[in-house]
Amino acid sequence: MVAAIKQPGWIRGLLGAVLAAAFGVGLVVVLRDISGLPIWQTEQTGYPHVVVPLVTGPLGFLAGFGCFDYWLRWAAGMPTIPEDHSQHGAKSWKDYFRFNTDHKVIGIQYIVTTFFFFFVGGLMAMLIRAELAQPGTQIVDAATYNSLFSTHAVLMIFVFVIPVFAGIANYVLPLMIGAPDMAFPRLNALSFWMLPLAGLLFIGSFLAPGGAFDAGWTGYAPLSTGAPLGQSFFNLGVQFAGASSIATALNFLVTIITMRAPGMTFWRMPLLVWANLSTSLLVVAATPFIAGAQFMVLFDRALGTQFFQFAGGGDVVSYQHIFWFYSHPAVYIMMLPGFGIISEVISTHARKPIFGYRLMALALIGIVVLSYSVWAHHMFVAGMFSWLRVPMMITTLLIAVPTGIKIFSWLGTLYFGKIHTYSTAMLFALAFIVTFTIGGISGVMLGMVPIDIHVSDTYFIVAHIHFVLFGGSVFTIFAGIYHWFPKMTGRMYDEKLGRVHFWGTVIGTWVTFIPMHWVGMDGMPRRVADYATQFGEWNLLISCGAFMLGAVQLVFLYNMIVSWRFGPRADANPWRANTIEWQVSSPPPIFNFDEIPRVVGGPYEFGVPGARHAIMAGDGAEAAKPEPTVVGQT
Amino acid sequence: MMGRLPIAKMFAATIVLTVVISAVMVPINWDGQGASTAAPKIDDLLNVMIVLSSFVFSLVMVMLFYALWKFKAKPGDESDGEPIHGNTRLEVAWTLIPTIIVLFGAGYSWSVLSDIEEVGDHPLTVDVFSQQYAWSFGYPGKDNAYSQGELHVPLDRQVQFKMHSLDVIHSFWVPEWRIKKDNVPGITTTAIVTPDKPGAYQLICTELCGFGHASMRAKVVVEPAADFRKWIAGLKEKVPDPYLETIRQDTETDPIPLGAGGA
Amino acid sequence: MESATVALGHTHEEEHHGPPEANQSSRIDRQTLGIFLFIVSEIMLFGAFFASYFFLRVVVDPPTWPPHPYELPVPVAGINTAILVSSSFTIHYALESIRRGNRNGLKLGLVLTWLLGATFLFIQINEYVHIGFSARDLAFGSIFYGLTGLHGAHVFVGLMLLSFATIRAFRGHFGPKAKDHLGVEVPGIYWHFVDVMWIIVYTAVYIL
Ligand code: HEA
Ligand code: HEA
Ligand code: CUA
Ligand SMILES: [Cu+2]
Repeated sequence: MVAAIKQPGWIRGLLGAVLAAAFGVGLVVVLRDISGLPIWQTEQTGYPHVVVPLVTGPLGFLAGFGCFDYWLRWAAGMPTIPEDHSQHGAKSWKDYFRFNTDHKVIGIQYIVTTFFFFFVGGLMAMLIRAELAQPGTQIVDAATYNSLFSTHAVLMIFVFVIPVFAGIANYVLPLMIGAPDMAFPRLNALSFWMLPLAGLLFIGSFLAPGGAFDAGWTGYAPLSTGAPLGQSFFNLGVQFAGASSIATALNFLVTIITMRAPGMTFWRMPLLVWANLSTSLLVVAATPFIAGAQFMVLFDRALGTQFFQFAGGGDVVSYQHIFWFYSHPAVYIMMLPGFGIISEVISTHARKPIFGYRLMALALIGIVVLSYSVWAHHMFVAGMFSWLRVPMMITTLLIAVPTGIKIFSWLGTLYFGKIHTYSTAMLFALAFIVTFTIGGISGVMLGMVPIDIHVSDTYFIVAHIHFVLFGGSVFTIFAGIYHWFPKMTGRMYDEKLGRVHFWGTVIGTWVTFIPMHWVGMDGMPRRVADYATQFGEWNLLISCGAFMLGAVQLVFLYNMIVSWRFGPRADANPWRANTIEWQVSSPPPIFNFDEIPRVVGGPYEFGVPGARHAIMAGDGAEAAKPEPTVVGQT
Repeated sequence: MMGRLPIAKMFAATIVLTVVISAVMVPINWDGQGASTAAPKIDDLLNVMIVLSSFVFSLVMVMLFYALWKFKAKPGDESDGEPIHGNTRLEVAWTLIPTIIVLFGAGYSWSVLSDIEEVGDHPLTVDVFSQQYAWSFGYPGKDNAYSQGELHVPLDRQVQFKMHSLDVIHSFWVPEWRIKKDNVPGITTTAIVTPDKPGAYQLICTELCGFGHASMRAKVVVEPAADFRKWIAGLKEKVPDPYLETIRQDTETDPIPLGAGGA
Repeated sequence: MESATVALGHTHEEEHHGPPEANQSSRIDRQTLGIFLFIVSEIMLFGAFFASYFFLRVVVDPPTWPPHPYELPVPVAGINTAILVSSSFTIHYALESIRRGNRNGLKLGLVLTWLLGATFLFIQINEYVHIGFSARDLAFGSIFYGLTGLHGAHVFVGLMLLSFATIRAFRGHFGPKAKDHLGVEVPGIYWHFVDVMWIIVYTAVYIL
């Protein structure tokens, strides 16, 4: 028992959480006592006795769990334990529940955790659709409904789409650039363990008095500053999720810049690496803005500051500026990694070099730059300086250009190739081109101020959101999961079930999200639990589509779990790809390489006689011999 | 390389598909009935964009499905495709064409915007007050006559709404008028509209404002000037003082004409 | 906490035997690049609060700034600024010393820096106590405490990092070789950032 408490792990973690939380409460009590306030505060939104422990508790867990052990020993100048790699690799499923510094293990941890939150968020979507199946209120009252779509969106965005990309990249990116691991493995592990905490805060808000946060995922002040306790869970959860993704982005940037294999020049990097490079640039520079915005909201709530309280000289609209200065780039944070995945999948399964590789990379950078200059397109009707609308409209529309370059270049890649569609990954990649084009086009229409004035805050927006986020981001996520499943698990998934999942998802997406455009333009506002009866039929259809969409996700779940356990063994390079991660065994050896590979050419030189991307240790563009230690297998 | 593609045929297919999609979509009145001078302008813009968008979409579809049909690998064919790395002419083309389209769209939108926000000589000013979860209206020109939950405006006369929120953000939307504007606590927001169809419509709150958001509606009546004057005369209440106080305190955000990007 | 993780980052792969040595594909080393990128995102965090400052002061445009009766102890804060700025030189001295292998210079420099930083923080808190308005008093109060408080938090973190470096210095760690005093250099970079940021905050909040 004592031993269990001494060594890092769950017991010590939970203990740390409890102690730190208690410390938090004590701190509040003492401070209030000193400053002569009543010890137990009774204001509506403040709840310092809850908010402070919500900060200290998770930190206590991380400390107890072992995230800081090494650094603390180092900081105290103690002899650091010689690296015995006990924190590296996974021999059994138990190792996935430890503080583990292996980027491959962390990648799996990320993916599994985020998909858990995807299903929770999806379940909420199912409730939303059940409520909206008919006009009037049936299963949830209006207040609960607001909590539902708010948590739905927050889970999907902050603890599913953004981190799942970090997870996939965590697994494949170091392999792709020929690095033994990420630049800061411990920071990497810490980033991961902050994530479940964020997710739990979001879900846990349902237990708060007054219910979960219900001001939408945008949490506009002053609605959010006056909301019940649940809103504070959102403010804090975002801090943990944000810290996590900033740390990861930093890690990616340093890894990509300083740890590329010899010969891996920037113009030889696979586009997935380029995509994560640009995404990380966005994260590092934009995410602090949402941290700032949520801090200010928290202070307005808990400390009574006046940032967004016009009565005290605050500025209401400034919240939206600060929020969107992050949250617009955030939508590209949720798309660019997907672009990277699609490039890998399409070029591999079309057996063709990427069409216009350099322009593809430059387009990514172009999107990064532009996306800092368009945030106000979310505020066309918000009563901000109206002179800002036209400039932001122009920049917004211009983003269609680099994005278009990518779409057309993927199409160009298909030409004179040998297109294989046996893999579900390729199917999702192709479907992505179609659905994302639609979502993007609706986005361009939203970019036009007069049209946006009419459809802003209607279901047209909801349609756009889901075409770009579900038909866009999530399709690319599925493509990526299917594509690297053999690499990550060492087994093949079931293509038949894959097809069921694919067609179900594609049809479900269209049936669910296309009619939303129509009801939106025709006058149905978003974020309403009840609506005019004239929209009844369409909404019923939408709900049916949503349920089938949900149901087929269960097929995906089944396929993944069963194939991971019992699927036929996968060989090193089932898709005959060129990039380095496919040149090592599936799953890769515990330290990725015995010897860092040498890169001698571009990543997509299909059909180029004698061309080759990398020379592996002891030669062999073919697979290296499988290693005994098997990672990522239950 | 392009020489080996039936470019002309593909282009023709794109045009045909564009025409088909447009022919189906343009006649549909997506935005529902229009009842203001702005409505037809916005709907025309939408239709033009529908045509351009269906062109873009058709282009993508034709390129995609032609490739899938022509270059699908035969079963068992393990060979690679041709090592084509790019084609500068093509890349320039698909950079320029979208640029032209969106810049055209931007210019067109801009002109529509300055057009619909043009302030006429003597618009009728109406004060809008929003709070959780109700609307009320004041008529400063008619010594602050005050109406709760029901908005009347005269036909064919430009109305300038001065919007004030008393608690959180709400948003003023009459779908038939195609105008929407947030009501923000602390500032006065403005919207311009010239109703040109008599009738009863609904004012919808489109900014999440709490559990009552979905039910925050008001009746809107557009009627000939005479009836309007009668209705005003029939109003007993005056705008309550606290509301007038709000109007005085709220800072005016920049006047609309500046709005069209300083046009 | 984040900053701690980045600044101390990841110690050298030397003691590894398992994985192959990663190829160093850039002249800059991981820790230094890491701290620079981290500083970028820190700057953006301040950026968020400066954005708010811009709105509250320029857009809302209150008649007077600071709104009377409030006023700011500009001279005291000025002295404080001098104190913090001078600490930039002491940390630089510490680094130069260890570069030349002068351990006592290292210790002296670190301790001085730490004391100067602590003094700054102390004066700052003292200022809060006597300044006569709270964060609840008007948006002015909020953004004043917002910016100075955010900066104060960074000074605090900086002091933590410095204490780590100091402890290790006294335990005989660090050496002249570049990779042997990263533990001083990296917190040093962060400390310089904290100083520069204060000059900006001071100018915006007290002088303008
Ligand atoms: C993955 C996420 C994602 C992505 C990629 C995008 C991409 C785009 N979005 Fe979207 N957007 C969201 C997620 C995303 N959006 C979300 C979540 C919201 C709602 C937030 C809320 O809750 O309020 C939102 C809201 C939103 C608004 C605000 C609407 C409102 O609230 O009133 C606007 C307005 O301009 C907009 C525009 C755009 C544009 C112009 C693009 C462009 O990047 C699209 C570019 C792509 C294409 C155009 C298609 C491919 C291009 C070609 C084939 C070339 C040729 C094309 C043309 C010439 C048109 N989006
Ligand atoms: C990546 C982001 C993402 C994803 C993947 C989704 C996925 C889905 N979303 Fe959501 N959504 C948003 C982001 C996302 N959404 C955002 C940002 C908003 C705006 C919120 C706001 O206004 O603040 C929003 C809002 C939103 C609304 C509007 C609420 C409102 O304005 O009133 C609706 C309504 O239909 C909706 C539906 C759905 C549906 C049906 C899915 C489906 O695709 C979900 C499919 C997945 C599953 C269903 C999970 C798997 C299955 C199970 C868990 C088993 C149970 C299944 C059954 C019982 C059948 N979403
Ligand atoms: Cu008022 Cu929604
Ligand atoms: Cu946006």
